Amino acid sequence: MAFKDVIEKEEKDAYLLTNEAVVRAALESDVKVVSFYPGSPQTEVLDTFEKVLPQFDDLRMEIATNEKVALETVAGASFVGMRSLTSMKSVGTNVASDSLYSLAYTGVKGGCVVLIADDPYCHSSQSEQDGRWFGYTAYLPMLEPSDPQEMADMVRLSFELSEKYRTMVLIRTTTRVNHQSGIVRLGPMERTPFERISWKENRHSFRTVGSAARAAKAELLEKMDRLKAELGRSDLNRTEHFNGKELTQVDGTDGLPKVGVISSGVCYRYALESLMDLEQEAAVLKLGVLNPLPEELIAEFISGLDKVIVVEELFPYIENTVTMIAKDTNPSIEIVGKRSGHFSEMLEYNVPIVIKVIADAVGKEPPFDHMAHFERMTEKASILPPRLPVFCAGCPHRATFTSFRRAVGGQDEVFYANDIGCYSMACLEPVNWSDSMIAMGASMGIAAGVQYVAKEKVIAMMGDSTTFHAGLTGIANAVHNDDDITLFIMDNSVTAMTGQQSNPAAPEVAGHTPGKGIDIEGMLRGLGVEKIVNIDSYDIGKNIKLIREAVDHEGVSAIISRQECALYHFRNYRRAGGKHVPFFVDKEKCDRMYNCVKDFMCPAISIDPEDGKARIAPEICVGCGVCSKLCGKQAIISTATLKGGENRAYIEVSDYEELVRATEVDE
Amino acid sequence: MKPFSIINAGVGGQGVVRMSNILGEACALTGKEVRSGELHGLSQRSGSIVIHQRIGDGAVSPLIPFGEADVIVALEPMEALRYLYFLKPGGLVITNTELTHPPGESEDLVNGRIERYISYEEVIGTIKEEAEVVEIDALEIANEAGNPLTVNVVMVGALAASEGFPLDRDAVVEAMTSTVPPKAVDVNLKAFELGSEAFKSKS
Repeated sequence: MAFKDVIEKEEKDAYLLTNEAVVRAALESDVKVVSFYPGSPQTEVLDTFEKVLPQFDDLRMEIATNEKVALETVAGASFVGMRSLTSMKSVGTNVASDSLYSLAYTGVKGGCVVLIADDPYCHSSQSEQDGRWFGYTAYLPMLEPSDPQEMADMVRLSFELSEKYRTMVLIRTTTRVNHQSGIVRLGPMERTPFERISWKENRHSFRTVGSAARAAKAELLEKMDRLKAELGRSDLNRTEHFNGKELTQVDGTDGLPKVGVISSGVCYRYALESLMDLEQEAAVLKLGVLNPLPEELIAEFISGLDKVIVVEELFPYIENTVTMIAKDTNPSIEIVGKRSGHFSEMLEYNVPIVIKVIADAVGKEPPFDHMAHFERMTEKASILPPRLPVFCAGCPHRATFTSFRRAVGGQDEVFYANDIGCYSMACLEPVNWSDSMIAMGASMGIAAGVQYVAKEKVIAMMGDSTTFHAGLTGIANAVHNDDDITLFIMDNSVTAMTGQQSNPAAPEVAGHTPGKGIDIEGMLRGLGVEKIVNIDSYDIGKNIKLIREAVDHEGVSAIISRQECALYHFRNYRRAGGKHVPFFVDKEKCDRMYNCVKDFMCPAISIDPEDGKARIAPEICVGCGVCSKLCGKQAIISTATLKGGENRAYIEVSDYEELVRATEVDE
Repeated sequence: MKPFSIINAGVGGQGVVRMSNILGEACALTGKEVRSGELHGLSQRSGSIVIHQRIGDGAVSPLIPFGEADVIVALEPMEALRYLYFLKPGGLVITNTELTHPPGESEDLVNGRIERYISYEEVIGTIKEEAEVVEIDALEIANEAGNPLTVNVVMVGALAASEGFPLDRDAVVEAMTSTVPPKAVDVNLKAFELGSEAFKSKS
């Protein structure tokens, strides 16, 4: 089990997710302060640290309000002299980047490692951003692993490099590396006690502006030169010879074939498997350093080649440098990549994509036509209904959207600025509506512009976590300018989408220890929001009127829709001894109106093929009771009634205990 | 040298991750090379889940190329068909027999966009056109073992009984039992054994 292996004392082989390998290697490196904002594909770094936190009294951890604060927190710890680490998804780095660029100038003291996790294909992101440019444009060293073992090695090395060069070190990943599992050799776990360091004795100014910034820049350029010299020839960048059967690491380029492949990260794995399948001899340059790129090594590698194939997702980042170097060292070389039209700058790659390009470049046929097979089989699978993500059983968002849509009277009546969180799924069936959805907290700023121009009312929507992450500035702006916007705050107590981490509104902090929860309503009042309406997300009967009240208000109004995330709430409910009290369909009363199905899409409700009536799966239903309020025939009833209990939802442990006391329900 | 490639498929909440973790742990115990590729995040919300797993020498890419999986082990039959494009021609599909209809299908049904739910026969019939299929009534077997939540362990048991499965049975059992609380060990062991027996009686 991964958790066990992350804290294991014995040096042995363990099966770890790359994100878990980050935690293991950081702990081995005596990391002392970590801080994160969750976001796929790097959330398991946070989650794993949080799981192991109780085992380490020499470690401090925060779940930060956003990536910028997380970065500043770990930089601050590093300024005083302790090792620190943060990790963020691609677009999170945009938020952190203001400080990131300055921190490159000031440098750090204690080893400070920053992971940037890109998401080609936008599995769970709003853009296919290429984080490699952060290293390049900020003048920060950047490494890229291709699997969990390399990640562990690079994390350990990054702490050392960071201290040696007094610079933050970036490690760049993509989804297929973060979410790759494999065997990792666990190293020695040698921790030192957490002992505060005197700033008085270690005083050093980390400031950058004007002349200090210019001096820092000069130092930074010199630092990059030294890093290039040390890292360029290190084992991070490997020259290899694949003879058609076996791969061997080589020193220099003597006797290498005339066809070469340059790659890094998971693309290296696709390229290598492609060469194996093709039994194609090739010289291989596997880059582990993305910044500074080892220009001398690349020059040497391509100097004797007729053809080089550059395999990398997204921008032609490596390819552009190869092209530049080739002009001086080997102008006649053929460069196969994106500029030649072989590879796309979109989507993620895989073996079928890469083998096709390599086969084409060397004039071979792939041993198997992957794409034809794919097309034939997906045609077969086209009889299947799609299985898209939906709101969970009991999710308060489903109830809020039911009230919201009825209250505003349809999509033509308002402009709806959505934001990033579980409620983003409003853009999928059955809500199928989001007039805009841009970036964390962006809905308020977008709404400000729309309300100047559109005839319709503007509604912005943010979750509790998103509000703290990047929404507050937009709210202050709207209040100050007396904009006409209704803000929906979907307050479900946790950062639900990424796995229910705590956020500033929660009464607990990292490690599930007590913390100060910020009162969202009080905060909005403090910011000057005039009209605030509180609703219980599940209470759809009352909510339509209350939502209309807020929407009709001129100026900034807010609706706080409150009910805990169902996954989070009912997990705690079960831990506290509660048992689900599901609802069921009284077949006598059901007349196939389907109000519980249409536009609702609860995973617990389906149609009984026998009689065409609705049915509720008791093992999925958590008993929120929202569907029962939609049924015009009162055909959806609590199973509590079967034992003599009241016909209502039992969702608090106290409700459940009352039910047990009052009835025959088995405990 | 090609690794043994497994597609683990199912619906969010069915325990697909645990299924693949048992196999991965077993590799760590026996010193086998292993590499897995999965997605976390959105897919957990009752969505479709697929985890690629490659065991043995030659496990280079974490993703199985289309048409190269040796076996698909599916906790839900529609998900076996959805990822059939990963299976090698004539490969093996081991699937649970219980369909889980996605909420969108019910929505389409009540709105008249479809006339009826897709049937198990249609799904399994289509898979059989392309693959060797072993059908396991995993829920019934899990209930027999003593806990309906061991459906995933039943399927691991079935997989472990298949021809060419590259891992030592004892290692899989050790990996499985080391990750459950002591009181759940017997139920898990039984689910595993019954899964293996069901596979042998049907293949």
